[in-house]
Amino acid sequence: MSAIAEPFLEVNGLHVRYSELVALREVSLTVAEGEVVCIIGPNGAGKSTLLAAIAGGVAPSRGMIRFRGQNIVDTSPEKIARLGLSLVPEGRHIFGSLTVEENLLIGASRRGDRREAAKDLTRVYDYFAPLRERRANPASRLSGGEQQMLAIARALMTRAPMILVDEPSLGLAPKIIDQIYRILLDLRVQEKLTLLINEQSSHRIVKQADRIYVLRAGEIRLHGAASELGDGRAIKEAYFGFHDEQAAAS
Amino acid sequence: MNRAIQVLIRHRSPIILAACVTLLVTIGVLSGFRHLQLSLTEMLLRMTIVVGLYVFIGNSGILSFGHIGFVCIGAYAAGWATADPDWKQLMLTGLPSFLQDEQYPFLAAQAGAALLPAVVALPLGAAIMRLRGIAASIATFAFLIIIQSFYSNWDSVTAGASSLARLPTIVDPWIGLVFAVGAIAVAYLFQISRWGLMLRASRDDDVAAKASGVRTVRERLIAFVLSAAIVGAGGGLYAEFLGSMTVDEFYLEMTFVTLAMLVVGGIGSLSGAVVGVVVVTFVVEFLRTLEHGISVGTTTFALPSGSQEIGLGVVMALILILRPSGLTGGREFLEWHGDSAASQLALADRAVRAVEVGVTQIEQHKSEPEKDVSVPT
Amino acid sequence: MSEFLQNVIDALSLGSIYALVALGIGLLFGILRLINFAQGDFITIGCYALIVPSTDVTARMLIGAWSWPVLIPSICLIVVVIALLTDVLVFRPLRRAYSPTLMIASFAVSYIIQNGVLMIYGSRPKAVNLWSELNTQILIGGLRLPLLQIVTIAVTLVLMSVLTLFLKRTLIGIQMRASAEDFRMAQYLGVRGNVVIGLAFAISGMLAAVVSLLYLTQSGSLSHVMGVPLALYAFVAVVIGGMGSLVGSVAGGFLVGIIVTFLQAYLPPDLRGFRDAFAFAVVILVLLLRPAGLIQTKSAIERV
Repeated sequence: MSAIAEPFLEVNGLHVRYSELVALREVSLTVAEGEVVCIIGPNGAGKSTLLAAIAGGVAPSRGMIRFRGQNIVDTSPEKIARLGLSLVPEGRHIFGSLTVEENLLIGASRRGDRREAAKDLTRVYDYFAPLRERRANPASRLSGGEQQMLAIARALMTRAPMILVDEPSLGLAPKIIDQIYRILLDLRVQEKLTLLINEQSSHRIVKQADRIYVLRAGEIRLHGAASELGDGRAIKEAYFGFHDEQAAAS
Repeated sequence: MNRAIQVLIRHRSPIILAACVTLLVTIGVLSGFRHLQLSLTEMLLRMTIVVGLYVFIGNSGILSFGHIGFVCIGAYAAGWATADPDWKQLMLTGLPSFLQDEQYPFLAAQAGAALLPAVVALPLGAAIMRLRGIAASIATFAFLIIIQSFYSNWDSVTAGASSLARLPTIVDPWIGLVFAVGAIAVAYLFQISRWGLMLRASRDDDVAAKASGVRTVRERLIAFVLSAAIVGAGGGLYAEFLGSMTVDEFYLEMTFVTLAMLVVGGIGSLSGAVVGVVVVTFVVEFLRTLEHGISVGTTTFALPSGSQEIGLGVVMALILILRPSGLTGGREFLEWHGDSAASQLALADRAVRAVEVGVTQIEQHKSEPEKDVSVPT
Repeated sequence: MSEFLQNVIDALSLGSIYALVALGIGLLFGILRLINFAQGDFITIGCYALIVPSTDVTARMLIGAWSWPVLIPSICLIVVVIALLTDVLVFRPLRRAYSPTLMIASFAVSYIIQNGVLMIYGSRPKAVNLWSELNTQILIGGLRLPLLQIVTIAVTLVLMSVLTLFLKRTLIGIQMRASAEDFRMAQYLGVRGNVVIGLAFAISGMLAAVVSLLYLTQSGSLSHVMGVPLALYAFVAVVIGGMGSLVGSVAGGFLVGIIVTFLQAYLPPDLRGFRDAFAFAVVILVLLLRPAGLIQTKSAIERV
């Protein structure tokens, strides 16, 4: 056993193309067990593509992705989910025609045991009280915030030790976003989760994350510990891609 | 002289196609086998139809199951024009007198065979070209059934379930060749025209196509009407080839065979349409010979009857699975130098599409991240 | 018994058949975005499996002679196996293909099956006598009702209830519904795509088998293209009812059954032949005006 733990998730030299368009170029990142890592970047930077590639939804043209030491490139998304990596995609993608509870039960597909699933359900409802109230409602009737909770709860049901969350704050009011993040970080502690989160805006997550990667136009521009980078100039430059003369002069 | 050669080289792919087909036909005709000549003629008629089919499907990326309906319309138009008037007056009592009492020359009949389907295609296309891929395909399928139902039941005009007969059988391999080559020329000219190029640019890309809106619908409509005219002409040829026909000839079986030819050859290119017809014809002929049986010594080996059709179906399925872009891979003949009009076309449309597709696919993948290519590039 | 009541029962019975076929098509479209042209041919196989394979004009019963508790599962098994084979051989390799490719592929499968049947059994329609005891009338509450029709409707209702329970109460059923709505998302949550799809094919196959038996009892004759009109009308039903909605497919099926029966009964005779033309003209209209069908689900709207 080495003293340095093997990274939980390791991405190396990832290239993803859509026909002629290069969406990701030479992207590398690591996530250690128990960490909260955040990827920030402007719209169109490739953040969603990156998470989708890791979760198996998009095939990379080049590069390596290792989860818990196992190569997961060219593995189907369902297999990756069963290996313990769950994606909460942008836009939630809840199953609107199913009830809240049925949505959660899908999360339990990873294991077939109904009794275990029932226990997990109880646990999940304890975290997300609003979901318990609406358990028999069709999921399409939920508010944006509740749907986000449902999407996260659903991923939780898979008992995956690592969860990828794609822009959890999208389209939500600030108070709800705070709530969601509180829950996420609470879960991280209670459920011993490892999180990889995409966000467009940095300031919220930067305080909570362990490490940050900045992705712009398909390439990683900057990465480092959140404590060092903070919300400072380095991040702004990497994010926007230019040197803010006035900020430099000040 | 130099200039002429330059032009020839720029447009080499359709010229080569036409030359090869002509060569094939010449050899076949000179060989003197009657059966071969019939097969060749039918191949050329099918080629006209499949090329017409390609003009729409290949350029727009929308699958049409209904074009054989246009073939039917064209065939019957030619039939009405050229069948023996005595017979028409007896059997087709519902025909207007300018058709019933007259017998028109071949070319006039062909003009009608091309025109009538085009006239029908215009309003139909105007309605359904707005629809997205699957919906449009289903609508074309519905059109096929409607035409079938219409023509089978309109007894007074089409002789319904019985044959429209007493047609002059004047289509021979040469006439077929002229029309097939003509179809290739028309298809090529369309594909390098402004509308053809723009249509191909929006081909695989419903979302971007929707964004372009009206323009795409118009381009699709042009392709639709043009393709209807070409396949209609093919239908007219069929009428004068068979001498008598029923509505059943132009229904699901022909739809499948022509589609199979296009798929096997390669949906995305004109060469694909031509190659597909030739290859499938050979395969089917080969199987047919096997069905008749080959004698080795005193025993005869024969495939059970029906092997042709199953063979064709299997070939079609294999191509879809193993090489969905068809034998030609969606490329035109001799496209290794970038200077032919065909390959410049391919480059241009790939570039335009890449930008549009790239942007929209990043959006799209969030709900449908599949990315295999089947209606090929 | 009044003619109107007879027509109503005919309509419901025909509608039941169309609903079952439409359900098979709708299920596969929902999960796989596949328009299964071969669904009608599954029915054809179910029927032909009853007789001894031969090209004779007169058909001799093989499985058809067995008692019904053995006959029914046997036919179901045969058709389900064929359906699963088409998935494994043709559609699984095409998992990531676009819809047009799937459409053409299913067309090819249909073509192969039809010609296969043609090859084995010959081209001439054969007369077959299956459960002719059902072609009588029974007395219910003072009314004489056709037994076969009643059985058809009853079987359909039972089958649909069972299917509904399956889809709502079992874990795998819920997974199927989720996959039908958002296949990719279901995968991200660990749902095994191939299992769900295989199950969908199996269910479609079973539905086709049931239809084959009901239909054959009624029509009494076999032909290699017998499944085509059923599939065509079921197709109309799916489009009208709403592609991607199972309830829509069923509703569409009944609607088509009603429309066809009443057109047949009340259209002037010289227009009756144009029934197909009317039906498919309606399809085009629906596609133009309300492409996701009468009962719209969000995924259908995106898909069509």
